[in-house]
Amino acid sequence: MSLASRLIVPVLLACGAFSAGCGGQRGDIRLGLAGPFAEPRGRSMRLAAELAVREINAAGGLRGRSLELVVLDDRADAVRAVSVARQLSDDPSVVAVIGHLTSGATLAASAVYNMGLHPVPMISPSASSPLLSGAGPYTFRICPTDRAHGTRLAQWAVDRLHAQRVAILFLNDEYGRGVRGVFAQQFTGRGGRLVADDPYLDELPSFEPYLERIRRRGGTDALLIAGTRPGAERILEALRTVGLRPAVLAGDGVAGIEATGLLAEGAFVSAAYLPDQPGQANAEFVRTYRAAYNGQEPDHRGAGAYDIVHLLARAIRAVGPDRAKLRDYLAGVGSATAAYDGVTGRIAFDAQGDVPGKKVVIGVARGGRLVSAEDRP
Amino acid sequence: MSGFFAALNTIRGRIVIAGAAVAAGLIPIAVIGIGALSTISSTIGTELALLQRVSGLSSALAADVSDEIRSAEQYLTARDPETEQRFREAATAVYELQRTLAGIAELDPAERRAATRIGTLRAQAEVRYEYAHALSDIGRTSEAAAAAANAREPADRLVQEARTISAAQAVRSQAAGERLAAAADGRLQVVLAVLVVTALIGSGIAVALYRSIDRPLRQVVDVAHRFGEGDLRPMPIKTAAMPSEFADLSLAIERVGSQLRTMVGGLIAESDRMSAAAGDLSAVSEQLAASASEVTTSMMEVTGGAERQAAGLDRGMSQMERLAAAATANAELARLVARQGAEIHRLAAIHQRDIAGAATTLGEVQAVVEHSATQVEHLERLSVAIDDFVDLIKRISSQTNLLALNAAIEAARAGERGSGFAVVAEEVRELADSSQQAAEEVTATIRTVRQQTAEVANTMAVGRTKVSGIGHVATGAAKALNQMLTGIQQIEQAAQGVTTEAETTLAAAHEVSAVLRSVSEAATQHAAAAEQVTAAAEEQGASTEEMAAQANELSQVAERLRKLVEGFTV
Repeated sequence: MSLASRLIVPVLLACGAFSAGCGGQRGDIRLGLAGPFAEPRGRSMRLAAELAVREINAAGGLRGRSLELVVLDDRADAVRAVSVARQLSDDPSVVAVIGHLTSGATLAASAVYNMGLHPVPMISPSASSPLLSGAGPYTFRICPTDRAHGTRLAQWAVDRLHAQRVAILFLNDEYGRGVRGVFAQQFTGRGGRLVADDPYLDELPSFEPYLERIRRRGGTDALLIAGTRPGAERILEALRTVGLRPAVLAGDGVAGIEATGLLAEGAFVSAAYLPDQPGQANAEFVRTYRAAYNGQEPDHRGAGAYDIVHLLARAIRAVGPDRAKLRDYLAGVGSATAAYDGVTGRIAFDAQGDVPGKKVVIGVARGGRLVSAEDRP
Repeated sequence: MSGFFAALNTIRGRIVIAGAAVAAGLIPIAVIGIGALSTISSTIGTELALLQRVSGLSSALAADVSDEIRSAEQYLTARDPETEQRFREAATAVYELQRTLAGIAELDPAERRAATRIGTLRAQAEVRYEYAHALSDIGRTSEAAAAAANAREPADRLVQEARTISAAQAVRSQAAGERLAAAADGRLQVVLAVLVVTALIGSGIAVALYRSIDRPLRQVVDVAHRFGEGDLRPMPIKTAAMPSEFADLSLAIERVGSQLRTMVGGLIAESDRMSAAAGDLSAVSEQLAASASEVTTSMMEVTGGAERQAAGLDRGMSQMERLAAAATANAELARLVARQGAEIHRLAAIHQRDIAGAATTLGEVQAVVEHSATQVEHLERLSVAIDDFVDLIKRISSQTNLLALNAAIEAARAGERGSGFAVVAEEVRELADSSQQAAEEVTATIRTVRQQTAEVANTMAVGRTKVSGIGHVATGAAKALNQMLTGIQQIEQAAQGVTTEAETTLAAAHEVSAVLRSVSEAATQHAAAAEQVTAAAEEQGASTEEMAAQANELSQVAERLRKLVEGFTV
């Protein structure tokens, strides 16, 4: 095979496959939406994204074209996320991706979005793993990292709960280990003592042995759950069984647990966003969301997805539905162009695709809702 | 395209096109060579680094997993905090290794799936063992044993997966080798093809360039040689297939030949006419001398007569009649001298114009010869340009040689896989050598061209000297003619004097015959007048001799001119 044909063939193929990029094509502007939508945690993300798309199309669309979502379920699974990412990358009409939801899936998918001749910009509303920082030029997120959550939770344990002994139960994955690692480092660094530091998976037959062991070691002032909602619910149930009543702290992975009512009552949950956080835009969003979805409350993923869709709309209005141009525009949000004031707060990307200016807030479960536990300004 | 063919008509154009053709061959070879080298070395580097990294990670993973299992099992019986600590550390190490492995972007799908499976199994094994430890810690030992047994299944599979990745590395390295070999083969074919084409084009160019310079140069040099030997016959040079510089030179030389032919032809004719005129002049001079001698004799007789008259007045009458007749003849002779002087004057003026014309023609010849010398100098400069070009080719080939050497070293470094490329490097080096040789041959040719150009320049210089020699001769001839004209004027003046005197004598004779009685006084006056005539006749004789000498000189000049032009073949 000659040198020339080696170069020419892929270019021709690329032009054939990406007629949107090479030639120009009318029709809907499409955005990928990827997450575990069969699970409760994916629900708000999808609903809020759809709400934002409806708002934009009702206002006349973008550049005379309407916006459309390509929704693909990654089941929060890394392998599945890679194939979803490939599907979205290979679809030339998809100009950007909203997702994924979990860090594991986002990390695996990010590699796909950043590779090839036509990489796709992706913005995750909730993937908070520190590993995602600088994963690639096309990778962005609008939530604080696990480090920020872990740090904020450790501050809360020491400064607000005055805890000296803390037990940690962490989900034995990227996320659980991430929150747990930063928390343990910050908490012990400020003189706290870990009475337990136990890994779990949702398959664990029972949490009682762990909790019983903690009880036998003399109990704990606070329990940090660094995991997701299913495990967290079982842990809260097991606490009752064992008869322990520590203050409960949890990372944002358990978001939605407040809906279990009494079980989660009083638990402190770190969050990138809370529906009752101050702000005119947020108040409006929450009102619209409730109206659209039978009074349901949006969660941080939903608010994040809502912000991402509107941010992408601003970018498409500015530079058009072109993957590379969108990426360059996004990288300049907060530096080359103005920061974006969304419902979740002010979005300004750093060189790693992170939003270091975004604050982690601590909410508390009260009567089935997660309300801000932070002092009102 | 017409621009291309126009460029092909000049030596400069041919050299530029030849250079471009050689460069068009050499540059792709260099580019392909460098490209192949860098691609292959970077591919080898990347592949090897990845293989090394993955295999290092998977073996470390297998070791840490074994450590994790050992300490986990040990804790169930020993239950000491140190063992628990060792288990936690091993589990953390396994987590970190798995995360590093999964973070390698270049993993193929099978490896990525294996890395994901390792992540799942790692989490399961750790959680199940820790769960067993918790059960054991709270005294539920039989449940703990069952939980530990449950943990062994993911732990065993974890070890297997780590080994599977190691095995996959072997397959991967083989595949990488095959890909590299295929890449090297593909480039080898391209390089060989370009090599063969360049070699053919290079040889063709060398032969064509040599011919296009050599043949016309031979013709031009041949003609210049023959001009140098004086053979000026027209010799047509075929200019159609020549580079335009040679065509121009050939035309200039042909013009020189034609100008020389016309001029030398003119000179020969002029010299013939000049010798004929000199002959005429000699004859006239002789006649003139004879006439002058006759005048002198007559005047002697007049003087004698006068004396005799003084002595014997009786014979005065008859003698006076003879004197009158003699004076009449004398006047006629003097008029003849005057006519011949005017004739000579006319002829000399004509020759003066002819010689001036010849001088102008000589000036033109000199200009043409100067122009030819400029053309030869231009040719000289061109051959210097060719030298520069040959130097460039030499430098390129020496660079290529160095490149080929480096390529060979890199190929050797690559070991068995580089052997194909080593052949390419050797071929590139040989090509560089052939280029070097071709450049040397061109240098030799150019040296010959320069020698021949120098010879042409010498021939031109000889021609220039000859032309200036002819110029000198013509100037001499003009000068001689001028002097001759002055002489003729003097003769004319003298002849005028003779005529006047003869008329005066005749008048006196008539007067004598009319007044014979007063002859006694008049006879004395008459004798004085006759002496004056004798002096004038003698003066005329001297002038005539001078003219004869000048006619002789002119004759010699005409002879020298003839000898000079005899060297030319027209």
